Amino acid sequence: MRLSPNTGYRPRRSALVGCALALLGAGAACATPSNKAALERYYDKFLGKELNRCTTCHLPSAVKDPQSLDDFPHNPFGDRLRVLGEELSKAGKRKDIATRLALVAHEDSDGDGIDNETELLAGGNPGDAKLTPTAEQLAEMRTRRAEFGKFMASYRWQPFERVLRPPIPNVKNADWVRTPVDSFIAAEHEERGLTPRPSAPKSILLRRVYLDLIGLSPTPEEQRAFEEDHASDAYEKVVDRLLADPRHGERWGRHWMDIWRYSDWAGWTDGKQVRDSQRHIWRWRDWIVESLNADRGYDRMATEMLAADELAPGDPDALRATGFLVRNYKMLSREQWMEDTVKHTAQAFLGITLGCAKCHDHRTDPISQAEYYQVRAVFEPHQIRTDRVPGELDREKDGLPRAYDIDKEAPTYFLIRGDERKPDKDRAMQPAVPRALCGDKLKPALEIVPVKLPREAASPDKREFVIKDTVTVSEQALAKTREALATAKPEQVKLRELELAIADVKHAALLAELRAEQLEDQGKKDADEWKDAAKEATLKQCNVALCEARLALHTAALAQADAQRVLDELPPPTEAEIADPNRAQRDKAGAAAKKAAEAAQALAKAEEQAKAEPTTAFKPRPKDDYPAVSTGRRLAFAKWLTDADNPLTARVAMNHIWLRHFGRGIVATPENFGTNGARPSHPALLDWLAAEFMEGGWKMKAMHRMLVTSSTYRMASTPDEADAKADADDLDLWRMPARRMEAELVRDNLLYVCGNLDLTPGGPDIDHMQGLTSKRRSIYLRTAPEKEVEFLKIFDGPSVNECYQRHPTVMPQQSLALANSELTRAQSKLLAKRLTDETAGSDEAFVRGAFERVLARAPTAEEVKTCLGFLKANAPPDAARLRENLILVLFNHNDFVSIR
Amino acid sequence: MPSENHPHRCAGVTRRSFLADTGMGFTGLVLGSMLFRDSTARAESAWRPPDGLPHFPPKAKSVIWIFLCGGVSHLESFDVKPALNQYAGKSIEETPFKDVFATADKNIVGANPAHGNRKVIMPLQTGYKAHGQSGLVVGDWFQNIGSCADDLAVVRSLWTIHNDHGAQLTWHTGRHPRELNHPTIGAWVTYGLGTLNQNLPEYVVLGVPTGDCCGGAFTHGAAYLGPEYSGVRLGGDPQKPLPFIRPADAATTAEEQLQNLSLLGKLNSLAGIDYPDDQELRARIKSYELAFQMQTSIPEVMQLEKESAETRALYGMDKPETKGFAEKCLVARKLVERGVRFVQLFHGGGGGGEWDAHADIKANHGKLANQVDQPIAGLLKDLKQRGLLDDTLVVFGTEFGRTPGAEGTGRDHHPQGFSAWLAGGGIKGGVAHGATDELGFHAVEHRHYVTDIHATVLQLMGLDSMRLEIPGRKRLEIDHGEAIREIIA
Repeated sequence: MRLSPNTGYRPRRSALVGCALALLGAGAACATPSNKAALERYYDKFLGKELNRCTTCHLPSAVKDPQSLDDFPHNPFGDRLRVLGEELSKAGKRKDIATRLALVAHEDSDGDGIDNETELLAGGNPGDAKLTPTAEQLAEMRTRRAEFGKFMASYRWQPFERVLRPPIPNVKNADWVRTPVDSFIAAEHEERGLTPRPSAPKSILLRRVYLDLIGLSPTPEEQRAFEEDHASDAYEKVVDRLLADPRHGERWGRHWMDIWRYSDWAGWTDGKQVRDSQRHIWRWRDWIVESLNADRGYDRMATEMLAADELAPGDPDALRATGFLVRNYKMLSREQWMEDTVKHTAQAFLGITLGCAKCHDHRTDPISQAEYYQVRAVFEPHQIRTDRVPGELDREKDGLPRAYDIDKEAPTYFLIRGDERKPDKDRAMQPAVPRALCGDKLKPALEIVPVKLPREAASPDKREFVIKDTVTVSEQALAKTREALATAKPEQVKLRELELAIADVKHAALLAELRAEQLEDQGKKDADEWKDAAKEATLKQCNVALCEARLALHTAALAQADAQRVLDELPPPTEAEIADPNRAQRDKAGAAAKKAAEAAQALAKAEEQAKAEPTTAFKPRPKDDYPAVSTGRRLAFAKWLTDADNPLTARVAMNHIWLRHFGRGIVATPENFGTNGARPSHPALLDWLAAEFMEGGWKMKAMHRMLVTSSTYRMASTPDEADAKADADDLDLWRMPARRMEAELVRDNLLYVCGNLDLTPGGPDIDHMQGLTSKRRSIYLRTAPEKEVEFLKIFDGPSVNECYQRHPTVMPQQSLALANSELTRAQSKLLAKRLTDETAGSDEAFVRGAFERVLARAPTAEEVKTCLGFLKANAPPDAARLRENLILVLFNHNDFVSIR
Repeated sequence: MPSENHPHRCAGVTRRSFLADTGMGFTGLVLGSMLFRDSTARAESAWRPPDGLPHFPPKAKSVIWIFLCGGVSHLESFDVKPALNQYAGKSIEETPFKDVFATADKNIVGANPAHGNRKVIMPLQTGYKAHGQSGLVVGDWFQNIGSCADDLAVVRSLWTIHNDHGAQLTWHTGRHPRELNHPTIGAWVTYGLGTLNQNLPEYVVLGVPTGDCCGGAFTHGAAYLGPEYSGVRLGGDPQKPLPFIRPADAATTAEEQLQNLSLLGKLNSLAGIDYPDDQELRARIKSYELAFQMQTSIPEVMQLEKESAETRALYGMDKPETKGFAEKCLVARKLVERGVRFVQLFHGGGGGGEWDAHADIKANHGKLANQVDQPIAGLLKDLKQRGLLDDTLVVFGTEFGRTPGAEGTGRDHHPQGFSAWLAGGGIKGGVAHGATDELGFHAVEHRHYVTDIHATVLQLMGLDSMRLEIPGRKRLEIDHGEAIREIIA
């Protein structure tokens, strides 16, 4: 029988080829394929052809499907590695496979007279004395060893080991070096004989850095100011100004929203059922923007997103950050919700495909299936809720969606083959992190300390503002009823009086309930004071029932009278008729009379109760209460994640930042730093940046500044024949890669260059159907499954599912959107009119102005000539229309959507 | 532009050749033979995107993928079970087939307990008869399609794993909505092969797709393959079949647009002189040409007045109940005739799907089948008479079947066994492949998960799905499926 996608992930045929299991004959399996991957990584292409197999370290197994080391024992070489590992571990030293391989390189484990490394490089087997290299293989050894030596001397990137800051290389082209970044880049240039492109022209550089840092093109005034500033630090001044600009947080906020999977809520389109994410999640978006503008440390941001409810439980501003967790909510499946949480937390912060280990041990990275469930246990107790915010009691209208721990006992079972239908109830997993991601200093066992929560966290409805708002709402209701009575028509006076009586006594009951609640919270439940308050509350509540019964009787009596009156007015039935035509109305009147009698009885009962001596058993007001203790699991996880000894967090973050400045990550797969990810183009640079980042307190602005002020960033994106021949894909950055604007930038700049972008920051998401009419920045438009702005989607806007990097495409729908949309047409019209007014009718001044505004550069002489020709030669309705068309054409220009 | 940055020659592309390349088309813009997808080639590995050529000789050029939303009863359409009449009114436990419940939930994930399997057998709600030389038995609700029996290969042994309407997405991508979006079969086909007509999109969607609850836009999306390969939805209104298909400003004339395009071409070429190796620029210039063409080519396809009266009647355009779907079927023919690779045709879309007959299946299926039966049969006959059926593959599917047991007057969801059929391009005619048990409960013979249909489509289109895989986007064996070779001619 075939396995279903959810029940039995098994590798497809071709994937098996790369898997350790398939490389072994006789059905034997490697206990840990990841050790084999480490051996492969260490010797790289130099590993002898026959040696990339399990029998390099193990004896051939007699057992068909070996489950343990007993089934599949080590050979002398494997045994030596194992013993060494135990020794190093005891001594508290680094014991990764690479370290151990280096230590045993010149030993001869199998005693055949040839050392381990020679056998690994040349052939034979270091653990089997019967297998030795042939004479030919040994003869090749000299050149092979020399090449291997060179390889070993190159920078060995070990993403799972803690970051060590590499030295900055010395380079010949020292004049070119502006920041340490340039030294690393120049070193590669010199190694490969590449010549860096000269600096980009000022206009191109200025537009590039504006779009990069604030997402908006420089205005003509800003262009001129920069053009005319000849100070040596003219560019640095611009960079500092842009980094201090609040629009920087919006630009980079959108980048991080991609990585952290921002999504507004989704559900049935016409209903109120929330299926994904939560209402008001925009508060998390605003927190991201504000945090970036405040240059809050990345470590602090990550911690708040994962555990603000444990770190700062009384700080509603910080609690917004937990939108990162809230966003994973899935009404349809808690399983999927937890899976997304584990998978994407790991991918976003650690660049590790931990999600692969849900159903089986990770095939290529050293992560076991059990470790997957240990990470899941970190998140198992958590739930989401919406707290009230000042000024609005109705949480559908506004509120603060946030995470909290609801169940500290929630078990995490190991799911057999990842199948939710098959939990192994004997294996309840405890929270921990994968050993392989701990480097040599951290521990997989987390230091978990339960967090006692303040009252405002456990009982948010007891917060002062909630009580105040509750009283205010009650007062408003009372005032409204009073008003209704004052303006009532005579026949409604009685009704309104009864309604007012209810509102009045309801308000009194609320005040009494609050008084009793307050006394109880002060620990005075035994005092007479509390008893009096409680009795008062009971009394008022009885009165509410009484007043409501009066109203019910009044309404029922009126209905009865009405029905009877109609019946009385009907003509009496004639004798000829068999059926009574008045029967229906007679029944109706009867029912109304019955109802009225019931209401009278209910009233009598309520009167009886109101007369009785009140007890203290009043009904407390409805409010939400939550556990007073949080497990502390997520906070412990966040501490581990942001520890300076965590090998991946800083590397992954810096790679994301680099990717968004330079168009490609140093690791081209930012979501996967594991074996199946891409190898880094500049590993030493990435390590250096990660070290610098952490030592600078994880401050992002300093890193942005370092990157964009480098000579590397300032290069032109124009080609060079010799460089292109040596490195066609610009992997070594001999030029600045050109990029296409992200969807949001296309829309924002269409509005902005025409002076029509509304720069109001923050607030609730704007309906996605208003994408073409709203003037707000695109970051504020709703984005959720099925709720995306069409215009942005066409320009490859972020998938709400996952978007670790954008993949811009070119397609005809984009051309149609720019050529035909009301947005481009309306903005073209506005800008044409504005420029016409400014340029007093001169065609040439118009053309120059249009280029400066739309493309942020001056036109060449030939471009001016071409445009003047267009304005003169064509003859549709009028000159104004032609000018409008010229602007429209510039919006469709490749240079508008490109960042050169 | 500062001159010190101008290279005179660059990696085989000279400024002169760039200008020459970009100056040949009818608007003065078109370039050489480059495909769009060249511009998105990711350079960091040896991997390259497909070259648009089949991996082996194909039997079909285009696919029409018909999908009926909500779950069509297999029992009263293409897997007729006379045993239901025989045991009508009895509990399944009283029949010789009581064991079917033992394994009823074996493959089902996240089953809604309310959607249990119904126990009291309901008789067939329509008649049935054998059709054509093959004698293929088809329920009378689909008798027009039955008249094409000798062209059909019915697969009667499909199964899927979800008991809710999210299974609709599974039909198109192999994955349920809780696993979010994955490329649809249409996206894979267009990604692998590209277009045969530069004036039209490669992948077109007609009709109202599945509702938001159950896959929504994912049912015609390309996921990680990129929006370039997602289905382009054409609306029913020939005036607005595509976003931004017409200038928002109604005063815009074609002549004016051409003038603008001509200026755009000149300016892009001038600016491009500094960047002679910029593939994006080349692709963008070309995309403006296709976009311009689509403004007229798409409305032309949507105009059906010029079709002959016979053709219109063949599809049922002359009757109010069939008119809606007949139009879509006719547009589908026009699209494949013009070289569009993949046409996805939805019926009964929105929400959980109209075919979801929990109550009064007789009225529900009777009415809906009446809407699609003649148009689909008309499509098959029209394709055949025009010689298009030889290289057009038509697939008819739904997300799951319906229970043999009664749910009041309706039938409940039934993922354990159901049917679909294929016809045309490389398919054997008059064939029934696989089987369910006598009650139509479990697929028992030649069981096929829904992705086997995908594999069959790719096989006939000359594509090997393993070779289409993208680094870092691992697909499982079950995502690929296995082609159903028994129904391939």
